[in-house]
Amino acid sequence: MAENDTANTGAAAEGDLDRLLGDLQALSGDIESCAVLSSDGELLYSSHGSGVERDRVTAMLGALAGLASRAARDKGHERPAQVKISTEAGHLLMVSLEDGATLVATTAAEARSGLVLYDMRNARSEISKAIQGGTQS
Amino acid sequence: MKKLFRGLLLIGTLAGAVVILRSYLGKSESPGEEAVQLVFDDGSTRSLTSKSVEGQEFTDIARKVLEIGV
Repeated sequence: MAENDTANTGAAAEGDLDRLLGDLQALSGDIESCAVLSSDGELLYSSHGSGVERDRVTAMLGALAGLASRAARDKGHERPAQVKISTEAGHLLMVSLEDGATLVATTAAEARSGLVLYDMRNARSEISKAIQGGTQS
Repeated sequence: MKKLFRGLLLIGTLAGAVVILRSYLGKSESPGEEAVQLVFDDGSTRSLTSKSVEGQEFTDIARKVLEIGV
């Protein structure tokens, strides 16, 4: 019974994340894809379904989160509040959530990345609450 | 004399505005330029270009992530 409750709460949190990230993408039309990475490197939400691509994305986002933490420590900080990586292929944006999780989004090169980051920061607390709802179970 | 002074002041102001504008546009990122910007809770920032080893590590991984999406 307890296991069922845990599963139900976890599924509810996952549903909340789906809804919140769907809302974020609807609000910020420049976002092409988004994901949430937990503090221990688990991919809590991704535009990708399960499979090889999801595993690759998890590994690469984990590596980026590690690089960002290292760069932050060099400046005397634990981790950055946000990271913007601009390439010719587009922007990769990362915003730190509570409990060490990270919200990630990708946009095209010509997207208004400042506005996307603003929307991501605004969505932070709701997403953190949804994650905590899932981990408290 | 007063007219001449006003003229010089106007030219100086215009020249200053041009320098500031050029400096601003020079610093602003053009589309496709590779760069990494980290912002911290206290408002301080750290910028890395893809010419640095650290910046290149970020952009190499980011390019692959952007290729397949997250």
